[in-house]
This record gives sequence, C-alpha cells and structure tokens, in this order.
Amino acid sequence: MTTQATEITDDGLLRRIIAGDEEAFKLLYRRTHPAIYRYALRMSGNVALAEDVVQEVFMTLIRDAKRFDPARGTLGGFLFGVARNHLRKRWEQEKRSVPLPADIEETGSRHLGGPNGNGFSAAADSSLESIETAVRVRQAIATLPENYREAVVLCELEEMSYEEAAVALDCPIGTVRSRLHRARTMLVEKLREGHAMSKTSGVRE
Amino acid sequence: MSGDKIRVDCARFGEILHDIDRPGALDPGLVESALAHAESCSDCARLLTEAESLDLGLRTLVAQEANLQASPRVEKALLREFRDQKAAVARRRFQWQVAVLGAAAATILAIGLVLHQRLAPKGGNNVAQQSPQVAPIVAPRNTQIQQAAQSQANNSEYAADFVSLPYADDPSTLDDGAVVRVNLSRSALAALGMPVADTGDAETIPADLVLGEDGTPEAIRLVSQTTSEQSF
Repeated sequence: MTTQATEITDDGLLRRIIAGDEEAFKLLYRRTHPAIYRYALRMSGNVALAEDVVQEVFMTLIRDAKRFDPARGTLGGFLFGVARNHLRKRWEQEKRSVPLPADIEETGSRHLGGPNGNGFSAAADSSLESIETAVRVRQAIATLPENYREAVVLCELEEMSYEEAAVALDCPIGTVRSRLHRARTMLVEKLREGHAMSKTSGVRE
Repeated sequence: MSGDKIRVDCARFGEILHDIDRPGALDPGLVESALAHAESCSDCARLLTEAESLDLGLRTLVAQEANLQASPRVEKALLREFRDQKAAVARRRFQWQVAVLGAAAATILAIGLVLHQRLAPKGGNNVAQQSPQVAPIVAPRNTQIQQAAQSQANNSEYAADFVSLPYADDPSTLDDGAVVRVNLSRSALAALGMPVADTGDAETIPADLVLGEDGTPEAIRLVSQTTSEQSF
C-alpha cells in the first residue's frame, strides 16, 4: 500500500466508494477485511463461513454504504457490527452451536501453522512454549460462551478500546468491561486446568 | 495526584487484575499499589503470573494470526458486485433522466397545445378583421364536398366542378387540399381568370377555393344560390 493510500481515511474512502470509485473500494477492503475475517473465523471456527461473512459485510457496504453514520462510531466498528449480525443470522439459519475446539484446531492448523499456511508473522515469538501457550489460549477462547468470546476477540485479539468494542457489540462500555474481565477469568481457569492436566499426563508418561 | 498511596487489598486486586496491563485503563498510582500488593501476597502474585501468562498467549496469537485474510476469490466476487452495482446505478440514473426528459417534453407539449388553442381563435378573428370576405375554413375537401352537397340540398345552392387556376402547380390539392368559402369581388375573380358578368346588386360572389399546403389557391368554383344570379 502506498503512503498516499494509507493517508486517506476510512471515511474519505467511503465517500469515494459512494461516488462509484472502485479503487477506493479495493483500498478499503484490503485495509479492513483481515480484521473482519479474523473476527468471523474466531467466532465461528469455520473458514468458509468466515469468508461468507466478509463477503456479506462488504456487499452491505456496496449496496447501502449510506447506512453508516459517522456520528455513531468508526467505520471499523460499524463493519464489525454488520459482521456480528450476519454471523448471528447464519447461526440461527444453520442452528449451529458454539464451534467445537476441534474445528478451531483444524482451521488453526490450516491457517496458522500448517505446512501450507501463511499465518505466521515474522514478528511472532517463535519459542515453542509461547506457541504452545497460544494454541491452548486459542482452544480456551473457542470454548467460551459467545458473549465472552466476542469481548476477548475484539478487545484482546483485535486490540479494540472498550469504546470501539461497545459500538461493535451495541452495548454499554461497562458491559464490555465486565464481560472481558469475566472472560479473562474463565480463560485463566481453563489454562490452569489444562496445565494441571498436561502435568498429570507428563507424570504418567 | 495527591501523592497518597492507594490501598489495594486482595478483593480490590481481583477487580483490577485484568486491567493492570491495559494501557490507560487504570490510574498509574493504582497500578503501582496493586503491584506492591502482589509482592506481599502470594495468592495475588499467582493470579498476576497467570494473567501475564494469558497476556503472553494472547499476544502470540495476535502475532500468529496477523496475516490471516480471506481468499482472493472473495475480493474478486466483491469487485464484480461493485461493478454490477455501479452499472445498475448508472442504468437507473439514465432511466430517471429519460423519464424526466419525457415528462418535461410532455409538459411543454401540453403547454403548447393549450397556448395554441387559446391563440387560435384570436388568429381567426384577426384574419376575419383583415379580410372580412373570407369565410371560416371548414374542413378537408372530402368533408367539404359532403357539406357542400348538404348545403345544396338545404339552401338550394348549386356549385360547378373546381377549375384549376392558371398558376396552379399542384394538381394533388384537388383531392386533399383545404376548401375555403370566400366572397370575391368581380375584379378579384377576373384577376383569377374567372371574368363574371354584371350580376346587378351583388357586389361580391361566393366561391370555394381549394388551397395548397402553402395557402396558395389552386382551384376555384363559383357557388350559385337561388337568391343570387351569378353566371359562370
């Protein structure tokens, strides 16, 4: 992406998109879609569904970009909100429950560390311990109830502020904060259990 | 800040534990007090270590998944949709413009017709004032002939066939030209090549003129009524 391209704000790109500028759409898509995709993937644990959600979010933007109201928050928050609605709709349609950890593990190996995956960042800490911790954290996140999982995904993995997450989740900031605290407590407990279990199995071996 | 040390106990530590490492979430003095409490409390120290371990796992996960993105197929599909949508918008805009232009044309036409209807009688009056001998134009010739026949029956009127005028150059007007009933003086008839004998008191003689498209008389016939004694 050029320096000039990064200087254009999301709102500026959106105005150009409404005027029919395809390049602006391409720029905005490439800038914002990875976060939406990661969110959908982490929430669903399903690559195909995550891609469908991304497609539907940007279809909404193409067909009805004027729905976004800058007074209500950032474009990113709006897109996350649309993604969340699509996800929920899909879950209702497909009567899908919370994804199984195995699903996450499958998609995770494909995307994050598999032989053909492209997920590893050069900046990532490649120590075995941190990778194992990350795998356990990912599994633990996948088992959280939806509301808590959303809070962790947005505030911890997408590094959103409480305010941004509140816009995306359409709830008060205090609710985001309390859900995140509860979710982190649950994650710590799960990691503790996992650690205890691995110690036990290590002793048996 | 007042400089007073904020007191943190185990309960308070548990409340703020997950915000200790979040930038800007807590007052720096409170963070300092919480860390000081953890140094003196083994349970809270363990909680802090577990929270830091979770943070490490989360940060590693973020780094690992930083390059995750949807397949290029999605972008292609979206760009195709963008173009389709753009074309549809352009099409709708064109249709709207055509509709507006059509409505404008219809409005102008309607205004023109209204104006024409309002101005037409005035024009007729003007003509009548300028040449009072000219009778109103009635209809195309076929209709006129029927009317003339009726007129003959009702008013004992007699008319000969039309005779082309000397300078007539459009024979087709005899079939479809407009017919005008006029009262012409003998001198005017003579000028048209139709000399008329003196008929006594009558100063003008009724005649039907067939007009060409440009309004030029192409043919003439004299009309004789029972009361008049014109000779042909």
